[in-house]
Amino acid sequence: MTASVPTSETRFAELKRYVEFSAEDAALLTGFRATAAPHFERIAQEFYDRIRLHEEAHAVFTGEAQIARLQRSLVRWLGRVFGGEYDEAYFADTTAIGRVHVKVGLPQRYMFTAMALIRLSLMTLAETSGPDGIRISRAICRLLDLELAIMLESYRDDSISRIQHVERLEKEAIGRDLAMTQHRYVNAVELARVLIVGLDDAARVRLFNKEAERITGFDRDEVLGAELLKVLGMESNDAESVRALLATVVAAPTTTRTSIETAIRSKAGHPRVIRWQFTHAPADGDDVSVFAIGIDSTDERAQQDRVKQQERLAAIGTLAAGLAHEIRNPLNGAQLHVTELDLALRDIDASPDLLDTVHVVRDEIRRLGGLVTEFLDFARPRPLLVKPVVAQALLERTAHMVAAQAQARGAALTLDVPPADIELLADRAKLEQVLLNLTQNAIDALEAGGRVVLRARRQPRTVTLEVEDDGPGVPTDAPIFDAFFSTKAHGTGLGLSITHRIVTDHGGAIDVESAPGRTVFRVVLPVVPVVPAMDPQPRSEEP
Amino acid sequence: MQPPTLAHPTAALRVLVVDDDERSGRKLADLLRRDGFAVEVCAGGLPGLQRLAAGPAPDVLVTDLRMPQIDGITVARLAREHHPAMPILIVTAYPDLARRLGGAQPAPQVFIKPLEYAAFVGALRELREGA
Repeated sequence: MTASVPTSETRFAELKRYVEFSAEDAALLTGFRATAAPHFERIAQEFYDRIRLHEEAHAVFTGEAQIARLQRSLVRWLGRVFGGEYDEAYFADTTAIGRVHVKVGLPQRYMFTAMALIRLSLMTLAETSGPDGIRISRAICRLLDLELAIMLESYRDDSISRIQHVERLEKEAIGRDLAMTQHRYVNAVELARVLIVGLDDAARVRLFNKEAERITGFDRDEVLGAELLKVLGMESNDAESVRALLATVVAAPTTTRTSIETAIRSKAGHPRVIRWQFTHAPADGDDVSVFAIGIDSTDERAQQDRVKQQERLAAIGTLAAGLAHEIRNPLNGAQLHVTELDLALRDIDASPDLLDTVHVVRDEIRRLGGLVTEFLDFARPRPLLVKPVVAQALLERTAHMVAAQAQARGAALTLDVPPADIELLADRAKLEQVLLNLTQNAIDALEAGGRVVLRARRQPRTVTLEVEDDGPGVPTDAPIFDAFFSTKAHGTGLGLSITHRIVTDHGGAIDVESAPGRTVFRVVLPVVPVVPAMDPQPRSEEP
Repeated sequence: MQPPTLAHPTAALRVLVVDDDERSGRKLADLLRRDGFAVEVCAGGLPGLQRLAAGPAPDVLVTDLRMPQIDGITVARLAREHHPAMPILIVTAYPDLARRLGGAQPAPQVFIKPLEYAAFVGALRELREGA
């Protein structure tokens, strides 16, 4: 390529320069036109005859009418080849022909081979026409190559646009798939009733689903980027276990033990128990490498704890009841001997001091016997005898029973009840025991001139009974409802336990609110008791 | 086992005390004798059964319930079988076991250990007066 390259050369000029198509070539072709023209019809005829013999090439055409039309076009085209004007208009025409080929679906292989057939015909014609034959033949070759090159461009343009179209379709499809997939997965994560937390390599939160927000009380904005263990306020030993498990999961993804149960604290400080499952799933371009899937097992756990506690209590209860029964036998021996001693001392007119001493022993034995009986009542509750009860009547009866005791201590006892009867289904005798216990406790706690209020209120599904006093208060953090806990010098420590037991047997709850000057024991009972399934056979006393 | 002795063979109410706790049984007998009852003591269910089968029937049976081998229920049942009118007083650490005696009439009186002697002897006196 010796010619200098013009700065704004057209594609056609550039191609002509490449195949060295010169003005001389143009002149040679123009000069040969007169010789060639009479052969155009024949060449076109031969060309299509050839096609008719070739099944695959023939299949490109729709029929003889099209072939006849194209044969005429071929003649016109041959005239153009020798037309002498090889300018931009010529280029535009060739380009247009190329587009028609593309449009009718002429395969490139047939365009190429067809051109070779025409080339052969024309070259044969040129080479037998005189001394300039070779040069004309070369000029034909150059021009037909230009034709091919230009028409191939059409195929290229078409194929590019086709590819672009396909790509566009594919992209759209991928986009749709992606959107759909994303929609599905986002919904799956967001609607799942499990906590889903994505963690990065440093155990920082990168994904926090709705359930995680709901259970922990944290908005995802508050926790994203923070370390999971810190966010959830895990106890240090739980946090250590989680760290260890995380490390194990990351180091050995096939590890079998990938779940752990931990206590967490919600934003509001409420403890929850979560069973976590960790899965290591690192991915390029995703900072989440571990998924922590959590299930709130608080209630399940509490239920298990309750069952365990009940079993434990039952076992201890059985053991203790056995022990309590057996204590009665030596007490009996002691009591009979003390009785004899008492009688003997009376017979000999012993000193009152000596008799008092014996009576102390007798009374202590009685107290122990009473304690055993009370304990056995607690350890082996009898089934509730549920009947309609009016709360006002209960409170009045209680007030009546403790009236003397209240008067003795100078305590004022008042009722605070609504005028309409509050009815509930309950075991009247047991509720009386509850109210009596609470009221006696209140009176015992009072200083002279104190005040006790018995109160009843009805709620839609519950009845609240309250015993309020203005005494010095009870330690609310002490296990006052536990058996054998007592703040009284001579208390058995069973009164509040039995009270608690009776209330919970009714499906109710008891709590206490206490400050110096105002202590309220509050019993909330369902209007219709939720009686727990009880062993229908009362437990035997036999070991 | 003490040989059967009747302290007041003519007038006294004859009480048979069955209790495997020998010391307690003996002490109860001592107290009852002070109060004018004729008392025999059997230290267990088996001697109790043998005594009921062999000798003259007592006026009242006082029995413990929970005893090894032969329990007070068995003793009381045998007493009921042979002497349906014989009053039975039960002195036990396991009062609920008395249910096993069923609805036999007259219903046995049940006293829980440690025994309140005053109440117990009161019940016996009522029986004596009614007898």
